Parts: sequence; C-alpha cells; structure tokens
Amino acid sequence: MNKEHFSEDEWKAIGQAIARLRASVMAVTFGIVGGLMLFVATTWLLILGPTGDSEHVGPTLGLLANFFPGYSVSWSGAVVGLFYGALSGAVSGFVLAFVYNLIVVFRKR
Amino acid sequence: MNSTDSKVRCVIIGGGPAGLTAALELSRAGVEPIVFEMDKQVGGISRTVDYKGYRFDIGGHRFFTKVDRVHSWWMDILSDEFLVRPRLSRIYYQGKFFDYPLKPKNALLNVGLMEAILVGLSYLKAQAFPYREEKNLEQWVTNRFGKRLFTMFFKTYTEKVWGMKCTEIGADWAAQRIKNLNLGKAALSMLAPKLLTGKNQITTLIEEFYYPRLGPGQMWERVTDMLEERGCPVRLEHRVKTIHRDGEQVIGVTVVDGDGNEERFDADHVISTMPIKDLLNVMDPAPPVDALEAANRLRYRDFLTVGLVIDSPELFPDNWIYIHSPDVKVGRIQNFGNWSPYMIPDKSTSCIGLEYFVQEGDELWTADDEALIELGKKETAKLGLIDPDKVIDGVVIRMPKAYPVYDHGYKENIDSIRGYTDKIPNLHLIGRNGQHRYNNQDHSMVTAMYAAENILGANHDVWDVNVEEEYHEEAHAEKGHGASGERLVPQRVREASPIEILNDAFAKYDPVALGGALGTMLGFVVFLATAGLLLKGGEDAGATLALLGNYFPGYNVTWAGSLVGALWGSIFGYIIGFVIAVGINVTVSIHLGKLLRRLGVLDGPIG
Repeated sequence: MNKEHFSEDEWKAIGQAIARLRASVMAVTFGIVGGLMLFVATTWLLILGPTGDSEHVGPTLGLLANFFPGYSVSWSGAVVGLFYGALSGAVSGFVLAFVYNLIVVFRKR
Repeated sequence: MNSTDSKVRCVIIGGGPAGLTAALELSRAGVEPIVFEMDKQVGGISRTVDYKGYRFDIGGHRFFTKVDRVHSWWMDILSDEFLVRPRLSRIYYQGKFFDYPLKPKNALLNVGLMEAILVGLSYLKAQAFPYREEKNLEQWVTNRFGKRLFTMFFKTYTEKVWGMKCTEIGADWAAQRIKNLNLGKAALSMLAPKLLTGKNQITTLIEEFYYPRLGPGQMWERVTDMLEERGCPVRLEHRVKTIHRDGEQVIGVTVVDGDGNEERFDADHVISTMPIKDLLNVMDPAPPVDALEAANRLRYRDFLTVGLVIDSPELFPDNWIYIHSPDVKVGRIQNFGNWSPYMIPDKSTSCIGLEYFVQEGDELWTADDEALIELGKKETAKLGLIDPDKVIDGVVIRMPKAYPVYDHGYKENIDSIRGYTDKIPNLHLIGRNGQHRYNNQDHSMVTAMYAAENILGANHDVWDVNVEEEYHEEAHAEKGHGASGERLVPQRVREASPIEILNDAFAKYDPVALGGALGTMLGFVVFLATAGLLLKGGEDAGATLALLGNYFPGYNVTWAGSLVGALWGSIFGYIIGFVIAVGINVTVSIHLGKLLRRLGVLDGPIG
C-alpha cells in the first residue's frame, strides 16, 4: 500500500470512523475491575488492621453497606463486596456502552 | 422505412414505457420514428395481459411520480381514464396479516403481548450489542430494528425477491433503500400520519394512487394508437437481428418478424431499450472483446405471475399482499379487482396474480403451466386466501429480465460497455434494461424524454437521470457510470478496502457521545445514592456522602440536593468522558500517523 492507492475522498476518510462500544465486553470488563477493586480495597484494609485511635477497620468503606446490603469490612464482606462490585461494574459498563451507542447513532443521523 | 418525409430517421428498439415515450416525444417534434417490439403486445413489464377478458398487471404499477413532467404526460394521455384508488396492502407472516404500513393496534393484536415484549427486548439488545460492522443487509437492519423485526419483516421477502441471502447483500443498498424508514418515523406515521406529508413522506406509505381503469397497459396501448394515428408504426413480434455500424455511427437495423422475414431499416439514430447484453451481441461489426465479455457477464432476475380466476366476487380487501412466510414460494399476491374493478369482466368472479421471483431456466421457470397453476392454488389455499375448489381458470405469464441485478463487478462491466457505446453518439440507451438500471416507470420515461431531446439537439446526460432528489444528491458523491439509480437493487457484499480496514482498526471515540454516556450515568449514580440514603433514613444519614458538597456547590443529602447532585454528576461525567475520548483519539491519531509514515503513505500530519 502506498500513497497512490488512495483517492482524494479515501484520503479524507482516513481516521474518520467512529468506534462503537460492545456492551457485553464493557460489562464484563467493568464488572471484573469493579469486583476486584472492592475486594482488594477491603482485604487491604483488613491486612493493615485498625489505624489511629479507631478500634474498627475501614469505617468509611464500611458505609458502602448502605448501598450493598450484607457488605462489611471483613473477610466474608470482601467476598460479598466482590459480588457487588462486579454487579455494579457490569451494570455501569453496560449502561455506558448502551448510552454511548445510542448517542453515536443519533448523531450520525 | 420511408425516410424522405422525415428530417431524422429514427429506429426505436422496444415498445415499453421508455421506447414508446421516446417515440411519442419525437413524433410530436415532427420526427417519424418506427418502433420494433419483440413481444406480441406493448408495455414491456408495464403491460397488462388480457386473458379471456381478465386483465393482469405484471407486478402492480401504481402511477405515482415526483416528476411533474411525467405526471402531466400521464394525465395528458389518459386523463379521464385514471382512477384514484385507495391503497391497502398487508404483510402475511406466520398465519397473520399485518397492516402495511404497520398500525400499532393491529401489530400488537397479531404478534401478542409476549412477542411484542420480545421484539422490544430484541431492539434493546441490538442497541446494546450492535454488530460492530455493518457490511451486509442483515447487520444494517438488525442494528436499527432488532433481530426479531428483521426476521419478521425483512429477511424472507428480500431473499425471495433477490434470490440472495441477506448476509450476501451489501449494507449500502439498505442504507439507500430504507434510509427514510426508521423506528421513529414508522412510529410517527402510525400515531400521527398527518405530520408526515409532502416530500418527507415515505414513498411506500402513500395511501392513494392513480391507476388506469384497464391497468397500466392501457397507457401504452393508447400511446401506440396515438403513434399509429400520427403515422409512426409500432411493429410487434419483430426481433432485432443486427444493428449495423459504420465507424462511430450506427447506420441501420435488421429485424426479423414473426414469420422469419428479415428487413433492414436505415437509421440516423437508434434508441435502444433492449437488454444491453443482447444489444452488444447483435452489433455488426462486433464490439471489442472486453465490452462484449462485460455485457455477457450482466445478470438479470426474472419473474413469473400465476394468474388464477376464482368463482367468488370477493376474496380479500388488499390491492396486494406481501408474503413473508418462508413455507411458500410465492412472494406477492395481487388482487386485480381491487386495483380496478374494470379488470374483471364477470363481477361474480375475482382474479389474482401470484408473483414468483425466479431465475430464467430454474425449476419454477421451466415448470409447465399446469404445474405452476396447481402450485399457485395449493399455496394460496395454504395461506387461507382462497378455496382451491373455486379456482375456475388459470394462466402463467413469464417475464424474463424483469430486474437487472447489480452483482459484484457490475459497475466495472457497465463502465466497460459504456467505454464502447459512448463512442457511438447516435446510439441512445434508455429504460430499465437499456441502461441495466432498476428504473421505475417514471424514471425510464425521463431517460426517454431526454434521449428524444438529444436527437433534436439538446445535450442531456441520460445516465444522470434520477427521479428522487435525495438520490440525485448522493449521485454526486460517486459519479461513476451508472452510479445513480442503483438504489433499488441490492449489491453483493464486497471485500473491505484498505481504508475501511484502517478505519476499523483506528476508529475514534465520539467525545460528545462518551461525555453524554458518562454524564448520564454519573448523574444517575449520585441521584440514586442520595435517594437511597434518604429512603433509608436515620440520624446521620448521608453525612459522608454530603462531603460531595465540597465539589458540588449546593449539594446536600436532601431531595432537592439529589437533583443538584444529579446535575453536577452529569456535568462532571460529561467533562470526564469528553476528555477521555479526546485523549484516546489523539493517541490513536499519533499511532495511525506513525503507521502511515512507516508505510510511506504520509509525509506530514494526518488531515
């Protein structure tokens, strides 16, 4: 392939394509990242143990229990957090891709 | 041909709409053309076949055009003979009749609530999991309507008509053919049809149309009479054997009549509507080998109608029904009495036309008439449209080369052929088969009018005729031979070009779309988090979340604050998404530039 292979119109078209997002791939990716993030964040606090004057481990992260019933900063809570993180990540990834694709289609029209 | 009385001697090959229009236009200008038609009657595919007084319209021809000149022409010829007919057409699928255009109540009742939900889910799925590539018809339609709607209303019928799988038909065709129709417009036309008027109206949704009292053939029979009255003969059953050429001019035509007698006619101009493939094969001397081979590569889709006469005054209310069911071969059924009551001589009977899209020489094409009539009876009865015992007569009408096919390489073939024919200025190619373009009747007539005017001194490009303005605009984008007018015939999926591969690999993100998506999501998250805490209640509810107020002025964990938070979340999300997309795009452009420079294609920056 060299320069002579391109017409003027083709030349203008290079790099102008707009990517679409695959909702399934986004859901899986965000799900894995979300689940692992919450799992690692919880276990990291457990490994560090109580800090400062507090007797509790991870009091702030523990507030996530308001949104994720059953979650706590404990070893069992880390597994529950893995599940919730994965679930909320997957939903976020899916919605993000879905809305993105809708806007792209709308703007193309 | 007596040439002494005419300033110009003009031979017209073909007595269809294009040929007869050209003849009448020329005769009105004082030229006396002669028309040769191979068939026993005029009209081409727009003819009306008379069988024992029953009149069969081959394919169903609504007289609708956006070209004022053509409309005036029609009215001038048949004025009082035109009927204004209501249009009713339905789609038959899985034992149900769907109104076409679709109507919500009818569609919902037919598919049922569960199927309607599945259609909705299928649409959502297509939006969430779109095909990344839109190379073929299936991918293009599914991405816009969902798989279930594609299967119900696009797949089977398209495959019946074109004899190709939807995965083999290029997406370009769908983009042009169906571009005016999307779920939004379809919904609007169902709910508020009056909002869709004039040029914005989708062509297929027009509810009334003009129709000659005795079918479309009446138009061309009348034109033939007018020509004869003017002293311009229209000779039927005359096949063109040879077109004589001397250098860069055609000088005459030799025809063979039904009895095998040959006769030569000298000509200053030849207007041809015969299939290009046949035209090049009768040229003398023969065309260059490459042009002849290109002509012989052109393909056609053929068509046959099984006409049934039924001893029943009423069958169904439609003008025609699209048959989407895959379990029968028939593609469309015409009810001629509903096109015009004058098509039926005995009002206690009905006649219908079962249309089969075939390939010349295939199993259906070569089947004997009796077998085809039996097949027609069997299939119509299976669809529940008639009682087969009430069929009292039948006839089979075959129409070869009804549709020119735009297969892979078709454009190159036409270019090669035109490289030869364009050098012969007094040979004028017009009409559907004359140009190998899927022209409608009005489109063919415009090419004929232009050709006639060219003979009289004008300088029109007959290959640039395009009836619909929006298509005309598209034709400017791609101005190769035969580019315009290719909207109605599918093209095969083609291989991706290097540019398309590059674009696929280096596609950019739409910053507005990514910003919009992230903004929407973040706005919702903040709103839901706040609302969740408010619903849960408690003394210190949301004390930590309220710290967001440090970044979102006016935000707190209250109902009003939830809306403020949603707004701020949207704004932040939009900015973040936009910046991420721009960042990715810059990185992608740098990599693309590096690649192109490495390939020696690019000297400076892209763009």
